[in-house]
Amino acid sequence: MTSRKSMGEFEQLLLLAVLRLKDEAYGVTMRREIEARTGRSVTLGAIYPTMDRLEQKGFVGSSMSEPTRERGGRSRRYFRLKPAGLEALHRARDSFNSMWAGHEPGQEVTR
Amino acid sequence: MSRVRDSERLPKGISLLLLLLEPRHRDLFAGDLLEEYKRFVAPTRSPASARRWLWSQAFRGSLVGLAHRAFDLTASLRATLSGGSRGGGGSMDMLRQDLRYAARRLLASPGFTLVAVLSLAIGIGANTSIFTIVNAVMVRKSPMADPGSVADLYMYDEESAIKFDPMSWPTYDALSELTSVFEGVIGYEVFIASTQMESGSDPVMGELVSGNFFSVLGIQPALGRAFLPEEDEVADRNPVTVISHSYWQERFAGDPSVLGQTLRLNGLPFTIVGIGPERLKGMIPGVVTDLWVPSMMLDHLNVFGSGQTDPDAISRRQNPNSQSVFLKARLRDGVTTEQAEAAMAVLALDLRASNPDDWETAKLVAIPTLDVSIHPLADKALAPVAALLMAVVGMLLLLACTNLASFLLARGADRKKEVALRLALGAGRGRLVRQLLTETLMLAGLGGALGVALAYWTIDLVLRFQPPIAIPVTFDLSIDGTVLTFAVLVSLGTGLLFGLLPALQSTKPDLAPTLKDESRAASGGRRGASLRNALVTAQIAISLVLLIGSGLFVRSLISAQSVDPGFSAPEAGIIGLEMATSGYTSNEAEVALQELRTRLLSDPGIDQVALATRLPLSAMVLTNSFVISGREDPAEPDGPSVDVIMVSPEYFPLLGIPILAGREFEAGDTGDAANVVIVSEEMARRYWPGDSPIGAQMSRGEEVFRVVGVTRDTKVRTLGEAPRPLVYHPVAQRYSSMISLVATGPASASEIVLTLHRTIRGFDRDLVIMSETTMSEHLGVMLFAPRMAAFILGIAGGLALLLAAVGLYGVVNYSVSRRTREMGIRMSLGADAASVRRLVMVGGLRLVAVGSAIGLVLAYAGARFVGSFLYGVGGTDPLTFLGVPILLASVALAAGYFPAYRASRVDPVQALRSD
Repeated sequence: MTSRKSMGEFEQLLLLAVLRLKDEAYGVTMRREIEARTGRSVTLGAIYPTMDRLEQKGFVGSSMSEPTRERGGRSRRYFRLKPAGLEALHRARDSFNSMWAGHEPGQEVTR
Repeated sequence: MSRVRDSERLPKGISLLLLLLEPRHRDLFAGDLLEEYKRFVAPTRSPASARRWLWSQAFRGSLVGLAHRAFDLTASLRATLSGGSRGGGGSMDMLRQDLRYAARRLLASPGFTLVAVLSLAIGIGANTSIFTIVNAVMVRKSPMADPGSVADLYMYDEESAIKFDPMSWPTYDALSELTSVFEGVIGYEVFIASTQMESGSDPVMGELVSGNFFSVLGIQPALGRAFLPEEDEVADRNPVTVISHSYWQERFAGDPSVLGQTLRLNGLPFTIVGIGPERLKGMIPGVVTDLWVPSMMLDHLNVFGSGQTDPDAISRRQNPNSQSVFLKARLRDGVTTEQAEAAMAVLALDLRASNPDDWETAKLVAIPTLDVSIHPLADKALAPVAALLMAVVGMLLLLACTNLASFLLARGADRKKEVALRLALGAGRGRLVRQLLTETLMLAGLGGALGVALAYWTIDLVLRFQPPIAIPVTFDLSIDGTVLTFAVLVSLGTGLLFGLLPALQSTKPDLAPTLKDESRAASGGRRGASLRNALVTAQIAISLVLLIGSGLFVRSLISAQSVDPGFSAPEAGIIGLEMATSGYTSNEAEVALQELRTRLLSDPGIDQVALATRLPLSAMVLTNSFVISGREDPAEPDGPSVDVIMVSPEYFPLLGIPILAGREFEAGDTGDAANVVIVSEEMARRYWPGDSPIGAQMSRGEEVFRVVGVTRDTKVRTLGEAPRPLVYHPVAQRYSSMISLVATGPASASEIVLTLHRTIRGFDRDLVIMSETTMSEHLGVMLFAPRMAAFILGIAGGLALLLAAVGLYGVVNYSVSRRTREMGIRMSLGADAASVRRLVMVGGLRLVAVGSAIGLVLAYAGARFVGSFLYGVGGTDPLTFLGVPILLASVALAAGYFPAYRASRVDPVQALRSD
């Protein structure tokens, strides 16, 4: 069975990026996707070690592309979501949703 | 479009940064970085801003990657150590948090990080560079098998200049027979030969070795084979050679087909039978040898040391008086060096009986090879030089570290409130200290990595200095595992030592006043401030000492350069020949040199040609003893020993050496005529005081010489020497097979050297050329030592000044930022900008004054020590002792001015509100 341990926020963001980008998920696109949607600047130095961990957990798979000129003769590493990863994402959203249930926007902060 | 093409590849610096990442992530990271840069960043931003983006992404990404790496590494280490079953324990999470926290904090203040890393890089880089040299010369051992059972054998003679003397080949042969204590004995001596190639001759440095050299040391060739025992049995029979790995790479581009090919050494073809292993650089530490040749080929190769090669002389391989062989022996199992010495003592008695002159006071000693770096006596002399160099760079590192500690103290004070809050909320002090230490260690790690890169660069620079010897020596200064370990240890030590103190200080629980935010308490307390001040004072003192040192050596260099050597021919070209090994007898050589002279003079670029066995200020010296008629001294039956050179008549006009009395040499002073000599002014003054030496007689053995002239003095051996007696012989009356052709004319010196080379090659393609140089290059070589000293100390002094300035700036700047409120109050009460500036700067300058005073005292104390290294200036040269503090004070003024200026621009209203 897949790990039932909860994922960190950064891991969730990366998995969601893979989910949204479908067949186009690799370092550059994932970084830009997260930055565009959340305004959070993500460094590549953090992406790869984290994705390695997620791959070890069985949440994502990855494959190398043909080398391209644009990358100075280097390959891209494409990630795709595995069922276990999707399940973990759903679980994470469910736990957040259940914690939010019953709260209206604007109600949560008291000055 | 063109902007994209500009950046096909990542800048080199970025590629270096990426080395911090996990290897499998490097290409991915680089690819992503390049792709994003080309597709999205470069087309939409200005080139400058795009570059900034690229660098900041690479810098931040690599640091974060490094933190991840360190975490993964420690996690896996921890898992291995604890059997891997503890699964996500609390301490792991803590470490991970610490690393992240440290990385984030370093990124939060990139300016601080950059300055700290650069300071450390300079300190660690300087230490690594010097240690690389010390390691190459004194630490690294040649790669023999089981070095513990190998001993150096010397002829120990208390009366000899170097005490531990090399021996002759016949002694080697005799020692080889002591098989009761030795498993094998090897002998080796250094030679210099010339290889002939299409482009001309090329000097090589090799080792003549006994046939069992490789087998006794237990060294396998990388390719081919070692020498066979029978290849070193009969003189001149087996011209074979094993070439060194580096020579194979350089000369033959690592082509394996060289095995079996021939290499001409001094004209004789040698068959290449093997290629040495890469680790074997040669038997002299720090120097790279090109090849090895069996000792029986000695008479073909050794042209140095023998001075005049006499074809009738006994072969040096058989000559017991020619002592230039170094020996090592592998001891039999269980045999100690004492037992070996006892066995050798018997042999020494035989040697004394057959050769009482050499063995009168000498005995044979064995010293474990592991206890000797270069030579027992040289080790003793080199150790203090190495210690001095390490002390200089150690001081640099100390400066860098005091900077770091000072910054960390300042930062610690800034964080006092945060720390106090966390302590109040129950955080353990140990944990906080560890967090702060992690940050320092990360800085030290980065500084260390950059420092090693800096060391590579420095070593490259050092290798460009050619030492003052006629042949190009290749130094083996590689950065190996030992050096890297040294660098890592220094970095770690630095991080721990200089991180711990600030970390402890800033986590000292003193909660109440801090939490109440009293700005005096928040400034780090009086103790924090005084510690920082003490550090800066120490920095100023250290950098003053280094600067005075470099000032003295620069002054020494300048005065050495302006010495009048007593001769001048700046545009002369010089070429050194070795006639005997090229197969010329003395008569043939005389004819050949005459012919060469005629050919050279027919060239329009040349109008004067002279011959000399040695040029002034050359490294090689020949001395003879002469009995001076009328001045015989029973205490010195052979007469005084003086330097001699043999020259042709043209030598004096060509080098501009005036004849003060008597005559020059003439064409008639040949071998058939009476022997004549010309002596130097100092020689005349010393041995014929108040009298003219013209017509006087001096003798050496049976030969009698008549003095016909006196020349003005020239420098003979070194620029710094006092006038030295010198005797000139006509080269026609006293032949030497090693001779230099010196030529001048309307052409430039380098053109003349080319003409010399072309003419000689046109005359005899295989004539051995030992050296080709211009007179100004030849003189430049004499300045090697002062130049090197000025270079090293100059760089050290400059860096020290830079580090001290940065430190001072940091302290003044910090005090300004802490006193913003005070400045505000002062200004709102009517203080003007100038008085605020003065207030700030006086604080900084007080530190400079105290530091300079301490530094001056230290420098004065050290002056006696460097005095002997200097030329033309005293160790307490007033100009240096006055000038350097002024320089330091002006730099300090500048470093203090900027923060002071900032303080004077404080807006009082803002300042009062802010705190």
